[in-house]
Amino acid sequence: MKTNYLLPNNLKRVGWILLIPSSLFGLFITIYDMDYAFLDFRVPALFIDEIFGKKQLFGIIENNLTNEVVGCLVIVSSMMVAFSKEKVEDEFIAKLRMDSLAWAVYFNQAVLLFSMVFIYDMSFLWVMIFNMFTLLWFFIIRFTWLKNKINKL
Amino acid sequence: MKNSIKVERAKKNITQAELADLIKVSRQTINAMELGKYVPSTVLALRLAKIFEVEVDQLFQLEESDWD
Repeated sequence: MKTNYLLPNNLKRVGWILLIPSSLFGLFITIYDMDYAFLDFRVPALFIDEIFGKKQLFGIIENNLTNEVVGCLVIVSSMMVAFSKEKVEDEFIAKLRMDSLAWAVYFNQAVLLFSMVFIYDMSFLWVMIFNMFTLLWFFIIRFTWLKNKINKL
Repeated sequence: MKNSIKVERAKKNITQAELADLIKVSRQTINAMELGKYVPSTVLALRLAKIFEVEVDQLFQLEESDWD
């Protein structure tokens, strides 16, 4: 079975090892609004729109990179878990993967739609933060669950 | 769609895992096909027929519900 968008199988393990701690750590720093001073940097920015401050295109700003680093780790590791090959990659697992992906998109958008109607103001900011990552989380949960189910047959 | 993979496999006296190796899929795929939960592609159907030395339509039969 040839697919052109899958990563090597050994990245699945690496992905899991990174995804679980970085997700938990991300949850932790988001809930407790934490950052680490050693990650204070001057960074290039495409758009600058400071509250009570300047507005401009391109420039250098001061920023703490804690959330950026953790966010990137979660994105990269969830891609590894979601899109690395199975040990035996065949057309049946490819179908399960596509079905899981479609299921995850529907589920994610249903949750988003529900949240948009019933959650407001700053609480909705939380929805937006989580929604950046939930699509792949839902996909991984669904796909892993389906694989376990067929393993037990 | 019905199939006689399990019957042909019994005739050849091979396990699901052995058949899986022969046609280069996972054991779970063989199982899902035997249970009628997965309809294989044409290529996979032809591979199965080749291994069992039968025609494809001996291995797979249409049912009434396949016309819906």
